[in-house]
Amino acid sequence: MNQYLQEAEYAADDVVISMRNVSKQYSKEAPAVTHADFTVREGEFVFITGETGSGKSTLMKMIVHELTPSAGQINVLGYDLNHIRHGKIPKFRRNLGIVFQDFRLLKDRNVYENVAFAQRIIQVPGAQIQKNVLNALDMVGMADKYRRQVTQLSGGEQQRVALARALVNKPLILLADEPTGNLDAETAWGVMQLIDRVNRDYGMTVVVVTHDRGIVERMNKRVITMKQGEIISDTADSAGEDFYPDDTMPLDYQDVDADWNDDYEQ
Amino acid sequence: MRTLFYSIGQGIRNLLRNKGYAAASVATMTACLFLFGLFYSVITNIQAMVRNAEEGVSVTVFFQPGVTEDQIRQIEVAVGERPEVSDVVYVSADEAWASFSKEYLGEYADGFEDNPLADSANLEIYLKDVSRQEDLVNYLQGLDIVREVNRSELTATTLTGINSLMWYASAAMIVILFIVSLFLISNTVATGISSHRDEIAIMKYIGATDFFVRGPYVFEGVIIGVLGSLLPLGLNYFIYNRVIEIISGKFSMLARLLTFLPVQTVFRTLIPVSLILGVGIGFFGSVFTVRKHLHV
Repeated sequence: MNQYLQEAEYAADDVVISMRNVSKQYSKEAPAVTHADFTVREGEFVFITGETGSGKSTLMKMIVHELTPSAGQINVLGYDLNHIRHGKIPKFRRNLGIVFQDFRLLKDRNVYENVAFAQRIIQVPGAQIQKNVLNALDMVGMADKYRRQVTQLSGGEQQRVALARALVNKPLILLADEPTGNLDAETAWGVMQLIDRVNRDYGMTVVVVTHDRGIVERMNKRVITMKQGEIISDTADSAGEDFYPDDTMPLDYQDVDADWNDDYEQ
Repeated sequence: MRTLFYSIGQGIRNLLRNKGYAAASVATMTACLFLFGLFYSVITNIQAMVRNAEEGVSVTVFFQPGVTEDQIRQIEVAVGERPEVSDVVYVSADEAWASFSKEYLGEYADGFEDNPLADSANLEIYLKDVSRQEDLVNYLQGLDIVREVNRSELTATTLTGINSLMWYASAAMIVILFIVSLFLISNTVATGISSHRDEIAIMKYIGATDFFVRGPYVFEGVIIGVLGSLLPLGLNYFIYNRVIEIISGKFSMLARLLTFLPVQTVFRTLIPVSLILGVGIGFFGSVFTVRKHLHV
């Protein structure tokens, strides 16, 4: 089990996100999400894709409890989001790292301050903040630019800083809402590679909302496709329980397989 | 504790980032509390002067012929127990004549052998509260042995009138000023919240607690309140001393007529009241605004 997951307080099974028959209807409008039903396991990399207005961002907002469902059950990391108390929401959200299409960096601060901001919010002791921030910036290849004002950075660099901010608090799930939407194709690919590395190296569960079919096809991960609020396909369903493209299988399962292989060889 | 220091630090940072509005709020609060301090100083001084004057206002009671000193002494005791009465002085007929003859007749008084004011034994009654003079007079006039009650109605009503007018005027003024202060602080905090919308949104996503998000804005209001109450206190202290100095130095005639309260007496009450008002307005103004504009 990776270093982040060892620190996890929850003792659930390997399902980290569970949506059961979830619907969301804004008043008097057509439902934004209808009967969404899927689970995400620990260490998985999942794309949620679809055209604009297909409901994928609404789905993401329900996962972070920015929106509550009109019907159905949502459980994330053992938190019942249908009945979570207001005072528990901050604690729940500290397990999530969130990346946005428009980066949402604080323009009046430099790279370091933007990442340290996330640590201060969860009240990490001052002496530890510096170490953690530089580690996170190093992870995304921005350690040498920690003093730069974020307004002096390119789009790709800004998204890397946003990624460092999302990772610095060691979340259990990384949620990215159109993380490449404002980037050119080459930069977008670089950012996706970085997110992929976080998933591979640290076993962090990753959910990426995107409408960029090119990236989705190139990455070869599990894909949940939405259309007009409904999930019209989930590559996990089509491949059955054994669907784990490449080596994105949760680390626990990889370890079990490795042990089984060792036993078999003996 | 760390969160508390963070919130105070951020509150100060918010003020510095939002200098224009913060300065306007502090200035308005300073103006309000300066005026409040000024009114308070003037009112307490006028009240002290009125009180002095009130203490000199008396009701004089004369008795029917043949009433004995013992009967008058009984009335003296009964009147002395009334709550509005501060002091009762018995003046015998001889004392009344001695005082009258000394004041108005001088050496010509020697020609009188008998006391011409034989039936002038009286009670001089001094009041704590001039507004209740009417009650006392009605009581006295209801007594059989009382012949006449002399009083200074004009003085009593004028003093009571000035007193009430000052209270009503200052209360109305203070209420208006505080509404203005509250509005301005609310506006400053709302502007701060609006200019930090993105930051607040990110804080919520990262898992900031309600206190962590709202704290800095509440402290911003409190700091405005503290600054807005300390500045006018200093200003009022300086001005109060200067005014007394100028009046006693250049207008000695006026100084003899008016006795000012020492600065310590006025500020013993003014300092805590100003601080409570300033901090209170800052706190409630910002809490109200944060609740209205900042949904965590």
